[in-house]
Amino acid sequence: MSVTQTTPQTGAPTPRQVSLVDCDIHPTLTMPELQKRISERWRRHLDRFGRRTPMITEFYPRTANAGFRLDSWPEGPGGFPGSDLGLLQTQLLDEFDIDYGILNSLGLLNCHEMPELAAEMARALNDWMVEWMDEEPRLLGAMVVPYEYPELAVKEIERCAGDPRWVQLIFPDSAEDPLGSRKYWPIYEAATGHGLPIAVHTAGYWPHLDTGWPSYYLEEHVANSMRMQSQLTNFICEGTFTQFPDMRLVLTEAGVAWVVPLTWALDSAWEQLKEDSPPIDRRPSEIVREHVWFTTQPIEEPDTPEEFAQMISQAGLEDRLLFATDYPHWDFDSPTQALPRSIGDELRQKILAGNAAELYGLPLAPPE
Amino acid sequence: MIDCDVHCAPATLEALEPYLSDYWREYTTTAGIRLLGMASAYPPNAPTTGGPAPGSYEALREQVLEPFDPRLVILNCLTLCEAHRNPHYQAALASALNNWLLEEFLARDERLRASLVVSTVDTDDAVKEVERLGGDPRFVQVLMPIRADTPFGNRRFHRLFAAAAERGMAVGLHAWGRAGHSPTTTGYTLSYVEDYLANQVIAQTHVLSLVSEGVFDAIPELRVALVECGFAWLPSLLWRFDKDWKGVWREVPWVKERPSSYVRRHFRATTAPTHLPLGNDGATRELIETVGTEILMHASDFPHRHGPSAAASYELLGEEAREAVLDSNAAEFYAFEPAAVR
Repeated sequence: MSVTQTTPQTGAPTPRQVSLVDCDIHPTLTMPELQKRISERWRRHLDRFGRRTPMITEFYPRTANAGFRLDSWPEGPGGFPGSDLGLLQTQLLDEFDIDYGILNSLGLLNCHEMPELAAEMARALNDWMVEWMDEEPRLLGAMVVPYEYPELAVKEIERCAGDPRWVQLIFPDSAEDPLGSRKYWPIYEAATGHGLPIAVHTAGYWPHLDTGWPSYYLEEHVANSMRMQSQLTNFICEGTFTQFPDMRLVLTEAGVAWVVPLTWALDSAWEQLKEDSPPIDRRPSEIVREHVWFTTQPIEEPDTPEEFAQMISQAGLEDRLLFATDYPHWDFDSPTQALPRSIGDELRQKILAGNAAELYGLPLAPPE
Repeated sequence: MIDCDVHCAPATLEALEPYLSDYWREYTTTAGIRLLGMASAYPPNAPTTGGPAPGSYEALREQVLEPFDPRLVILNCLTLCEAHRNPHYQAALASALNNWLLEEFLARDERLRASLVVSTVDTDDAVKEVERLGGDPRFVQVLMPIRADTPFGNRRFHRLFAAAAERGMAVGLHAWGRAGHSPTTTGYTLSYVEDYLANQVIAQTHVLSLVSEGVFDAIPELRVALVECGFAWLPSLLWRFDKDWKGVWREVPWVKERPSSYVRRHFRATTAPTHLPLGNDGATRELIETVGTEILMHASDFPHRHGPSAAASYELLGEEAREAVLDSNAAEFYAFEPAAVR
């Protein structure tokens, strides 16, 4: 974000420091509202033929309240959790005194649709988020793009990137190809060129299977962290970070602790199998520390809270954790309660705001 | 010392001819079916492969029994993974491999045990094989390679687990398996490194599945060994699994305890690969303590090579824990005679 950092002026009162940034808020653009924002041609298409990509919720239904906080359903007909800005302001931004919140729309993360339709939906979603950001200065946005069509995605990036409120680009954690694949490189090149991190968020359509379908949502939900392990491994092994030395990756809603054993396994395997992965130019754990950030929710909860802090310090990830609530989903993490008590105050403050302010170049003072 | 994972495999199908019916002998010959030693899982010249798996007792004696002097060895033969999906052929080849293991290995040395090879495409055939040979105490577990069509907690496997548990057998989930699906849920991989490490993620899928489908309340005696799947990933997985279960337990009301309780009671993991941070003894110690040495069982995974991490981590264990990992954990898990007191 290119907003000028607020510097305290001599004699002026020191502005209040940013103390809480929520890096994962889910707004929902309902289908009727989406329909209003796209061309007649594609409105008719959606109306007659619907979407082709299955939602993961079609095969793993959530177990209560459709997976949302019960109190996040707006009153009145047609409302959906995350669709009402006023409710989001009251329940989240005001309630917890959040300085900045990032809108991570999931609306286009299962989008294997016709190229022009995907591009049209991306444009509509981004325009709608701009409406919200205009109305609420605490909100920042994750740009959605038709990622299966890199040419169209780059066009959307170029259309939006001039607005500094777009602080990142968002990808699903499962797509047609593994995300480190060269297919997606033009998108990373454009985003990185504009200084935008890439957020990979738990979502997608599971086009691939390793050992078949599990039966329950419980398995599917835990597997979110496992899919992210495969994607991170892929980014490293395909040399994506070697190609884009300034690329920053934000792994969102997949937890954190798994990265520690994963980097040990990667280092160990790479030691033996270097020749197999020529793009990896140094220990994978170093690549991870340099390029990768993690949002906290749903943060792992060991019986012995010290074990969590131990993992984080073993991996040297103190600067890489970003607090997130995941509002309005059922497994919302409260800013006041979610972080393990084994984390000291200094680290807690970095996770709650400092790391995000640094990553996204946020002004040190909250918006007026 | 008990070695819980040593590989052996017939070098060619001809070695199995005495154990195949005329039909299958003629069929495999005419069709030109060959064994490739699971070449995509263990590329012949990759540094992790280490050479072909011993194809005879003599080779095993020379390469494993004499140099390492284990008191017991569990043989794992993965050859069935490279057989095509015809269920009749699967069943015939599984029986042939088990007879080959019996005649060529188990009958020739009292220190040898083996995992029972069973059809991976048909549960009824797998149960029949357990009924045929599972009573032989030298077959200590049912071998289930983890790259499969369905996570193993699925109810289609419950009668197989029940048949195994009735005979005091464990179930061994072993790395790799049937080719076909992409190794990760994110797609096919270009590098071998990713394919190799994918085993550790796939193993997690089976842990989730076995617990979530209520296998351990249905079959309380069932024991599961994670073989060649790593173990450093267990703590972070269980932290999340327990947390999510607290949130959505009503979906799986038959899961009566926290997932980690089932895993700690019913699962063990072998130590090859170990994959802990070399040169960082503090982190290695902390991780092993968090995992718990009581669930680890020594394995060489001969002839495969996973680097110096396992040996280095043994150096950090106290004497009692080292003895447990090297011998008594496996002795207890597989109900072997304890080692003689020195």
